[in-house]
Amino acid sequence: MSRVVATSKRPVWTVLAIALVIHTGLISLQGRRRIDTNFVRTWLMDSLAPVEKLADRSFFGVGHVWSRYVGLIGVYDENQRLKSENDALRMQITQDREAVLEAERIRALIGLQESGLGKSVVARVIGRDPALTQTVTIDKGTTHGVKPDTAVITPNGIVGRVIHSSNFFSIVQLIVDSQGAVGVMLQSTRRQGILKGNGGRDLELDYIDDDNELKEGDTFLTSGEDRVYPKGLPVGVIVSVGPRRGLFKAVQIRPSADLGRLEEVLCITEKRSIDVVDPTQGTLQP
Amino acid sequence: MMIYPVSRVTTFGLVGRFAVSLIAVVVIQGILSFKFKVFGYFDLPLICCIYYGFTLGNPVASIIIGSSLGLMQDSLSGAVLGANGLSKTLIGFFAASAGAKFAVDQSVTRVFALFLFSIGDDLLVTILGLMVGPASTATYSGAVGSWLVSALFNTLLGLVLFGYHDRWGHATT
Repeated sequence: MSRVVATSKRPVWTVLAIALVIHTGLISLQGRRRIDTNFVRTWLMDSLAPVEKLADRSFFGVGHVWSRYVGLIGVYDENQRLKSENDALRMQITQDREAVLEAERIRALIGLQESGLGKSVVARVIGRDPALTQTVTIDKGTTHGVKPDTAVITPNGIVGRVIHSSNFFSIVQLIVDSQGAVGVMLQSTRRQGILKGNGGRDLELDYIDDDNELKEGDTFLTSGEDRVYPKGLPVGVIVSVGPRRGLFKAVQIRPSADLGRLEEVLCITEKRSIDVVDPTQGTLQP
Repeated sequence: MMIYPVSRVTTFGLVGRFAVSLIAVVVIQGILSFKFKVFGYFDLPLICCIYYGFTLGNPVASIIIGSSLGLMQDSLSGAVLGANGLSKTLIGFFAASAGAKFAVDQSVTRVFALFLFSIGDDLLVTILGLMVGPASTATYSGAVGSWLVSALFNTLLGLVLFGYHDRWGHATT
């Protein structure tokens, strides 16, 4: 460190005294408030503030450029990462939502299982053949007690009957299949009849004791006479009553169970002949 | 057209360079304190004042530098006008005196000097602020804890800057 030592001490003390007097004077004037010292501050601020403003602008400008341009270097990668993370999370949400819905359906089936229908097993629909025959494949077979003529139902109504079963899988003929038929009774009048599938989405009336009292909105329940379905399960609701065609009126019945959206079903492997239907409600009591 | 002698031009240039650097120090201190709260603990003008006191070996220049830095700092910080001025004037003088008597290029000496001057500066500014009254609440912030933290920060930053200046000075001479 190079240093130039002052030769005389006198100017030092003089300068020091002057500086101290100036500053002490400024301070005391502010304390007593007799003389306004703001002009000194104003003058200094007016001199220094533009420099500070310029420096601040430069600082801000550099920060701006940094954050807008230089700071964006890693943003593309981060964006891609966040996108993929977002996709994964959305998929997870969809899966969770599905799991909740499935749990609700299974809970309804278990409720039905415990309603006194007899021994039953919950099966999952794993295949569908909607072309010629109205059938679905379920993941339960003879190993689980599911055999031909086992009734297959949902909490909303009957689905069909098993027509073929292997050890672990079974084929269910839906009630709307043109080869299928269900013994029914009208919920309101208890008159018995037979419904058969039309190969489409509805059932048709094949036989009934008296068709004069039929009207739209009437509900058909299983009669139990066909020895496949337990008595009292909802089958469908009359959607149209047409003019007489042959012996009976042309009546179309919409199945109570949504056969187009089957996912889990209940197979009644050993039925009991009790009425599980609340006659006032016309639906199964879980 | 006036023709100035070379020695006068050199003196003007030197003073101008000093003035610009002093203004820059005060402005940088103001901006950094505003942008980053932690920088409120640092006192760049103080470090600058001590450094020039040590290196110039000229007490008069050190007093003027300290006085100017303090006054500018007061005007921009809203503190009592003259509090930092008086404090930095004294620090400039004592630093110059210390620079003439002690080996201030040693790190240990610098650590002691920076720490003590920082505490002294805070203490003096606070006392002067208290004397003036409640109009200058900005100077009351120097509680003992924050004085110590401030002194520690100033010592560390001062050591780094002194080292940098020493190397830079040697490289250019």
